[in-house]
Parts: sequence; structure tokens; C-alpha cells
Amino acid sequence: MKTARLAAGLTALALVVTGCGGGDESEGDGDATVKLTLSQDVDTLLPMDSNVSDNISVLDVVYDGLVRYDPKTTKPYNYVAEDISSSDNTVWTIKIKDGLTFQNDEPVDAEAFARAWNYAAYGPNAMGNNYFFERVAGYDEMQGEYEEDDEGNVTVTTEPTAKELSGVKVVDPQTLEVTLNGPFAGFATMLGYTGFFPIAQECLDDIEACSTQPIGNGPFEIEEWDQGQSLTANKWDDYSLEETPDFSRIEWTEYSGDSDWADFEAGDIDASFPPPAEWQAAVSDPDLSSRMVEGPGAALSYVGFPMYLGKPFDDVEFRKAISMAIDRDTIIEKVVPGRFVAADSWVVPDGVPGGVAGTCEFCTFDPDAAKAALAKAGGWPKDKKLIIHLGEDPESEAIFKAVGDSIQLNLGIPYELDPTPDYFDRRSARDFTGIMRANWFPDYPLNENYLAPVYASGDPKEGNTNFGYYNADFEALIQEGDAAPDLETAVTKYQEAEKVLASDMASAPVAFSKNVMFYSDRLDNVVLDPFSGEVKLRLLQVN
Amino acid sequence: MSDPSVSALIAEETQSGVPSRSLWSEAFRTLRRRPDVILATIVAVFFLLVALFPFLFTSKDPQRCDIAESRLPPQWFGGEHPFGTNAYGCDVLAQLVHGTRPSLLLAFIVVGVSVLIGVTLGTVSGYYLGIVDAVVSRIVEVFLVIPLLLAALLLLSLFRNIDLGDGPVSTIAQPAIVLTMFAWMGYTRYVRASVLETKNLDYVTAARVLGASDLRIMVRHVLPNAIGTVTALVPTAIAAVIGTEAVLAFLGIGVRPPAVSWGIMIEEGSQWFTGGSEYLLLFPLGCLMATVLAFVVIGDNLRDALDPKLK
Amino acid sequence: MGRYITRRVLQGFLTLFLVMFLLHLLTTLAIQLNGNPAQAFFGDRTPSPSQLAAVETRYGLDDPCYDQLGNPCIGPFVERLGDYAQGDFGESLRGRPVTDIVSTAAPNTLRLFVVVTITWLAIGMTLGGIAARRRGKASDHGIRGLSILIDALPIFVLLLVYKYIFSVPLSRWAKDTFGSDSLPALLFKPSFSPQHAWATLIVPGILLGLAGSAAFIRLVRAAQLETYNADHVRTARSKGLSERHVSRHHVVRNSAIPVVTAVGIVFTEALAGAVITEGMMNIYGMGGVLWKAVQDSDVSVVIGVVTLLAAVTVVVMLVVDVVYAALDPRIRYE
Repeated sequence: MKTARLAAGLTALALVVTGCGGGDESEGDGDATVKLTLSQDVDTLLPMDSNVSDNISVLDVVYDGLVRYDPKTTKPYNYVAEDISSSDNTVWTIKIKDGLTFQNDEPVDAEAFARAWNYAAYGPNAMGNNYFFERVAGYDEMQGEYEEDDEGNVTVTTEPTAKELSGVKVVDPQTLEVTLNGPFAGFATMLGYTGFFPIAQECLDDIEACSTQPIGNGPFEIEEWDQGQSLTANKWDDYSLEETPDFSRIEWTEYSGDSDWADFEAGDIDASFPPPAEWQAAVSDPDLSSRMVEGPGAALSYVGFPMYLGKPFDDVEFRKAISMAIDRDTIIEKVVPGRFVAADSWVVPDGVPGGVAGTCEFCTFDPDAAKAALAKAGGWPKDKKLIIHLGEDPESEAIFKAVGDSIQLNLGIPYELDPTPDYFDRRSARDFTGIMRANWFPDYPLNENYLAPVYASGDPKEGNTNFGYYNADFEALIQEGDAAPDLETAVTKYQEAEKVLASDMASAPVAFSKNVMFYSDRLDNVVLDPFSGEVKLRLLQVN
Repeated sequence: MSDPSVSALIAEETQSGVPSRSLWSEAFRTLRRRPDVILATIVAVFFLLVALFPFLFTSKDPQRCDIAESRLPPQWFGGEHPFGTNAYGCDVLAQLVHGTRPSLLLAFIVVGVSVLIGVTLGTVSGYYLGIVDAVVSRIVEVFLVIPLLLAALLLLSLFRNIDLGDGPVSTIAQPAIVLTMFAWMGYTRYVRASVLETKNLDYVTAARVLGASDLRIMVRHVLPNAIGTVTALVPTAIAAVIGTEAVLAFLGIGVRPPAVSWGIMIEEGSQWFTGGSEYLLLFPLGCLMATVLAFVVIGDNLRDALDPKLK
Repeated sequence: MGRYITRRVLQGFLTLFLVMFLLHLLTTLAIQLNGNPAQAFFGDRTPSPSQLAAVETRYGLDDPCYDQLGNPCIGPFVERLGDYAQGDFGESLRGRPVTDIVSTAAPNTLRLFVVVTITWLAIGMTLGGIAARRRGKASDHGIRGLSILIDALPIFVLLLVYKYIFSVPLSRWAKDTFGSDSLPALLFKPSFSPQHAWATLIVPGILLGLAGSAAFIRLVRAAQLETYNADHVRTARSKGLSERHVSRHHVVRNSAIPVVTAVGIVFTEALAGAVITEGMMNIYGMGGVLWKAVQDSDVSVVIGVVTLLAAVTVVVMLVVDVVYAALDPRIRYE
């Protein structure tokens, strides 16, 4: 099989005629076009810089990664990689399949990965996926140091001393050796993420052109990107690996945030989901609801507490009171039906390894217990408003207005929403005076990713930047997990760390996203990516 | 939504007569006899009352929302929620009543202040001409060129982190400032033209010869001529600001929740419009349209009554 | 006349310069008050100082004056003027040239404005004319009532009702009856399509035009009323010319003057409607671009786009003034 495909790769014409999936039927289907939507916010198609679900889902068919994830279990399996192994979880050896090429005929080899990773890790390039490489040895030397004086002037004190990751070594064209700063059992799990895709030398030579017209190694080639309006991709005839769909063309129309539901109903696009007002009508329509897929999402919306402010936020009883005062199920049903499920854990249950439901004991609505807990915490100062800080996003504003109403109704605490466009800035500067709406979208499917990046800091005095949280047991368990000999042991350690969060009530989980998609009758085998919530294009079939 | 500058322009085209005292009283006599004016006045006065004394019309707290009672349909009078509840379970009638004040207050402040600015600048630049006029004309043009919405967004995002407290005036302070900044140009242009016309009339010249000060001439002799049609513009301009507030709310700038205004209610209602809860949009939209209509009718008739050329 | 035009052109340049400077001051103040827009580049992540510095340098935000509240940042402003003079309009925060953004967005907005203007003129001239001719009669009252009603109905309600209630069944029906790429199917498409820019813009344009037409109806009515009473029209009438002749040759022509004037002013106002229409009908246009740029504090785009819009507006106003002067013999250009 492998040699046959290699031969086919060399003779492009032969592949078109015989086809990878074979048979005349796929020939007929091969002309089909899928019409999808894309957010207008998408600004780049450079893998190193792509970190929102829209460009990730586009690049998923344009590029192939070392590993890919099973759409059901999210477990990684080797794809471009022949083999990934490590004896100590620190030094990893990656073998790459032979004979693969980019769409411009450059080879997909160890060098192609190394150049992409070096570019991403180099601080001054300011790539969106830069931070993924912080575990790789030599990352710090590529960031440089800057100083900021009282007036905010930034002066360079140290330029980055290295332009390449010392931990990434090209052993031979098909072998890559990666040395990490310390052991990390989940490293292989990360490698399927967009930020780890290879890039061609031609792409690196003209990054600007490449960010709108990528040179991929996947089954589809970008034809044209009319930024702000539409994006089109055609099947790449020379594709030599097995995961490629039958349709020949994808057309994305860009939307500026307003719902595309009307266009879906008019039959102009193939997949969409309804706005809250239309939800009831859509699910009760027998025809429409027969063309609906749903699956668990991965994003967690939660209430963060500014524990650095002291009373009452640093009191665990106060945090329990807030959490138990929120009527999660009703809020979701009334305000954002179908798009979320109430959360009672910090890691998405069944979505990633180690995620189980019910770890949060105080995430059930119980107004009486909430009042009791508030009394235990010493109550809330009379006439003072509880500020809820959040970003400027209509959906979360809607949810958190209802959360505020719940708190006001059940605890008698008046509230005020503070939607701010500088949310992240202000949060990291600890410029908040009340609780905050926070959201965590995992980068790779492992329970560790819901825990360590959000709550660990290694700073017993100040706690973590965003909330001021610190617990030595939590930090220790995360470190034990990182150093575990295999992934399973690691996952168990991380689960124990989640239990520490639960007893501290470090934050109040509110809702996990739920992926929902309605699709047109032209489509078949619609599977949603548990992470991005987008349609898995490689599995899709068009009638 | 017509903006005040356009209305001013319309007036500029139509007006050129000089209203006198007798014209004023005659105008009111004409207006008193028109049924549409009487109806419009009743509507306007009703909403003014609602804005002034909200507690006469509802006993509910518009901020008390129970999500379990989300989107109850109107139960009409006698029910717990006569106009139903919105998506968050807040009482629609209470919101409607308490939302009247911000909407009307905003309109009155914006129009009042911009008339004041317009009349002052227009008089000064028309009376002195020369360098003063050149500067004022340039400023007017700059403000005419910058689109209102862009400026609104820019300025409102500029001051977004500044907390003004939650009094009735401070919640609308920001949109009020921004809208005023872009509402005065029409009055300036109009008053300037009117001043140009009157300042060389015999009685003004006579006053000058008699040694009256500039200020006295402006206030006593030149201004009264301009005031008539400016007054006629005011109701229409109030209507326009009420409408603009809804647009700002729809775009997510302007009066911010949890403060309630008609604009915010319309924006929220429009999201649920198709889901079988049309009343969430229709109630606030109805109030807004009734008020706007009332003010426009008053304004139109006032203008006709004050304009001798259209007689 | 020549001197008048020269003077207006110079004034136009001055206005343009003032607009640019004012915007520069405002955006600078926004950055100084609210912190660095380069931060927005990183979203959820806290960037390392080196990354932040790199982004600042890339977009010309590294001048220390942006960190000092109250500093007018004259340096970067002069630099920008110089760049503009050389035809370099800079890049957005996302690295896309402003000229590129404008060349994609401007044609769509322009098309929209063409449809809007035609709608205005058609509705305004017709209804306003009828109302003026039948002054005081039922049709006059009806038209005036209608214009007030239009004025009171927010544009977004109009679009909302159209998009969610009318467009879906209409477009399905048109597709079934005439085929999916037929003109009727495109006309009723719920959203704009760049492949069929004109066809999919007609209905949104008409709706936006309808919403703004109230002022026009009243304007035309008032202007025509005034000319009906003017001396030369009376003279024409007394000469025994037919009412039709009078209304076509004297009244309509003379009342065109205020209409021309109003087009100039309404131009900026229409942009507000354009933001909403573009947003709801998914049109990639100037309104939407500007909207997003202001929200992101994207200085280059805001100043670049507004300068362009202001330039167009200034030119329109200038042309209007000149036409006005040419049309109306009463105006002396000293």
C-alpha cells in the first residue's frame, strides 16, 4: 500500500484517475462543493500564528500534523509521524514518514518541522502559538529581556541570544530529537496541534504571502482568500496519505459575527446553528432536528474570584455561596439553549483523558445552602455592589447577566456588569474589584491543560496572576504528574490535583460549551470536532 | 432617523420670515385648534409624567429578575406581570416605565445644550464675521465631516473605564456628551444665517447708533428673530435623539445595562423577536414610536405655524 | 467663480487636515488612557515583553509618547502625514495594508450608497412633489404622516423583520421557481454575496434608503412649496403656461438646489445606517471595517479610512457648494 501510494504521489495524473478511495462513485462525488462559514475575525492562515477555532479548522484540511486525534476519544495517533518515543519523557525522538511533500513539492522532513518551531518560538516574531514551545529546551534564550520604566517606556536590555531552539535537533532528514526543560508525559499529545505543523522553506521566505496563501501538506490547497469575504480551497491531487474526503471543493463565506442561520434556512450554506430565539423552533421541527449533531465541547466558562483582594473573596465559604446561588440549568435553558451544559467539574467530563463529572460538590443550585454559606462567611457589606468583570462578548454578557440576577435574587447582593474590551490586560494587572467571568479553552486534550496553566504559579506569596490562588499540594501533584513515567499515571495525578481545587473552591465552574450543528440534506457523516466544535471536514460526505 | 442638522437645513430652506410677538400668539391659537396636535401633546405629556414619577405606574423593581420566570407572555392588567417578562425574567412593564426617564432625559439634555451652543456660536459668528466666523465655520465643517457613529464609538470607548456612578444623570452622561458634540452644528448654521439677515435692518442699526453694546444688540434685537424657528426645530430634534439612542443601544454603546432604556429594551427584544416573544420588541418599540411621533407632529405644526411663508 | 472655487478647495484641505489631527489626538488619547492595542494581538495570553515590543515596533506604536498621558504625539502624526503623501497608508494591527482593506470594502459600500441615494431621490421627489402640489389635501397629510412614521421606525427593526420573516421564504420560493442563481433568488438572499454584489445589495439598499427618506420627503415638499409661491413661478403661471409645464420647468428645477445640498450632508449620516446594514446583512464594507477598527484601537485603519471618507465628504460638499452657487443666482461668491 505504502509504495503504491508513493508511486501515485510521483505521478499526479494516475492518482486523479484511480483515486485514493478508488471506484467510479467517488469520481461523481468528487465534484461536490461544501459551503461553510468562517468568522470575519480570522486574520492569518499561518500555522504558527493560528489559534482560534476558525483558522484551526481550515488548516486541519490544509496541513497534516505529526499526530491526529480520534474524533470520538480525542486520543492521538501517529499520522505524519512514523513513531514518537521517549524513555524519560524529557528527550523525545520523532520519526517522520518517508516520501511526503508539501504542495510545492518540497519534502516534509525533520527540517520542515524544525524551521516552523524555531520561527514560532522566536519571541520577536510574536507568533500566537509561541507559548507552546516553553517546555522545549532553549526557549528562554529566544525571548530576550526588556525593561519597563515608570512611564511605561520599554527599553531593550538583552536581545534574544538564540534564534533557534537548542532542544530541537535534526538527526537525519526523517528524525527529529526534542529535548524538554523537564519531563512532560503529555508532549506527544501536543504534537497534533496547529502550532506544531511543518512549514515549507518557500513559506518562511515570504511569511506575508504564506499567511494568506499557505503552502500545506494536507489534502486541500487554498485557492483564494478574499479577506473579509470568502475563502476557497480545492482538493490537492497529489495527496498521498489516506485521510481525505470525497468532495473536491470547500467554500467558506466570512461572517462578521451576526448569525448565518437565515442563510442556512434559505439553503445557501451547508451547516449552521440557530440563535437562542430560534432554538426551540429548530429542535421541534422534525425535518431540521433529524439533521442535527451535537457533542460535548471543551471550553469551560467559570467565575473567577480576586482572592488577592482578601475578604470576602479569599473565604472559601463565600465562594461556595456564590457558586450555589447560580441556577446553572435554568440559565442555560432560558438564555443560551442548546449551546451549553451546566458544569460541575473543572475538567470537561468524557471529553479529555482524566475528565469526570461531579468533582465540584458545590456546583448544584441550592439557594438555602448558599445563604447559609454566605452567613458563615460573614455576609456581604450592605449597599455595596458586586462587580462582575467580563470581556465584550454578547453571549457571555447574556449568561453573566443571568448569573448576576441569580446572585442578586438568592443572596440579596446587588451586582453590576463591567464588560471591558481590556479584560485580559486588566485581569493580569489585577485591576479588578469584583468577581470575573473567565473562560478556558484547552490547547490539547489532557486534563492537565485545564489545571496547571490556569491555577499553578509556583509563587506561594502572590499566588497565580489572575486570581491570587496558591496551594502547595496542588503544585506538587501537578509536578508529580508531569514527571510520571506514563500518561495514565500522569492523568491520575492530575485528577488528584483537581480534587485540591474542589476542596478550595478555587473557582466556580458554570458551563461547558456544547457543540451543536444543523446541516443541510446534502451532507452526510457530519462529525464535530470536540475541541473547535467545527465540522470534521475529513470525515464529511456530500451527496 | 433624521439628524438635527438636516432638520435645521430644512428649516433654513423654508424659513426666512421674521416671527413677531403676535405671530407667536397666533401660532399657539392655530395649534390649539388642531386635533393631531392635541393628541400629540397628550402623548408627550403622558410620557413626561411617566419619566418624572415612575412609581405611579409600577410598583415593581425593574432590576429584580428571576430566571425561572423567563419570557412569560403578557398577562395584562390584573396579572402579576401585565406586560410579561423578558428573557431574564424581569418585569417588562417595570422596565418600560423606568426606561422612560433615561431616554427622555438624554433627549432633553442633548437638545437643550446643543441649542445653547448653536445659538451662542451662531450669533457671535454672524454678528462679528471675520476671524471669529472663519474659525466657527471651520469647526462646524470638521464636525459635519466626522461621522457621528464613529465619533460616538471612539469617544465612548475612550471613556469606557471611567466610572461616573449610577445616578440618573451619570448613566446617560457619556452618550449625552457625545450626541451633543454632534448636534449643535445645524443650529449654528441656521442662527448665523438669520443673524446675517437681521443685523443690518434699520432698527438694529438704530440701536447701534444710539450706543447700545454689542451684547445688548445681540440679546435684545438680533436673537429674538432667530429664536422662533429654532424653537420649532426642538421637538423634531428631541424625537431624533430618542431614535438615535435606540441605534446606539443596538450597537452596544450608549446607555449601558443594568440601567434600562427603551433603546436597550428594543435591542434585547429584537433578539427574541422571532422566537414567539414579539411583545418584547413591540412594547418598547411602540412607546418609542409613539413618543417620536408625538414630538415630530408638535414640531412640524409649530414650524408651519411660525412660518408666515407657508401660510 | 474661479477664485471662489480656489478658496473652497483650500478650505477643504484645511478641514481635512483638522479632521486628521483631531482623530489623531483622539486615538492617541485612547491608547494613552486604555493601554496598548498591541496587547489585543495576544488575546487570552500574557505576552512576554519581547513579543509585545516586537508587535509595537511592527505597527509603529513604540514611540514613548503613547505612554505619556496628554502628550499629543506630534512626531508620529508628522510621520504619518509624510507616509500618506507618499501613498503609504500603513497596515492594520493584523498586518493587512489599509489600501487593501479599503479596496475590498469601499466598492461594496459605494454600491450600497448608490442604491440608497436612488431610493432617496425617487421616494423623496415623488412623494414630496405630490405632497407639495396637493398641499392641505388628504394625500399631503397622508404622505407627511408616512414620513413621520418612517422616521420613527429604527432601521434595524426594518432589516430584522425583512431578514428573518420575509427573506427566507421569498428566497426559497424564488429558488424553486426560477433556479438558484436567478436574479429573484439573489435579490432575496438573506445575506450579501460578493460574487453577486449588485443583486444582493438592492434590497438592503432600498430598505436603508427608505429609512432615511423621511427627511427628503419633507425637504422636497418644503422646497417646492416655497418655489410655488416664488415670483417667477407666479409669472410663468400668469403667462398661461400649463400647470405641468410650470411644475416641470420651474418648480422641480429650482427645488433641486436644497436637494443637492442635503445629499452632501446626508452622506455622512448614511454611514451610521451603513454600519448597521452592513453588520446585519453581512456586507464587508467601510462601516463595518471602521466599527471594528475603532473597537480594536487600530489607529492606522481608523485614521486611514476616516481620512479617506472625510476626503470624499469634503469633495462632495465642495461640489455641492459649487453647484449650489452655479444654480442659484442669488448667491454671490465674494
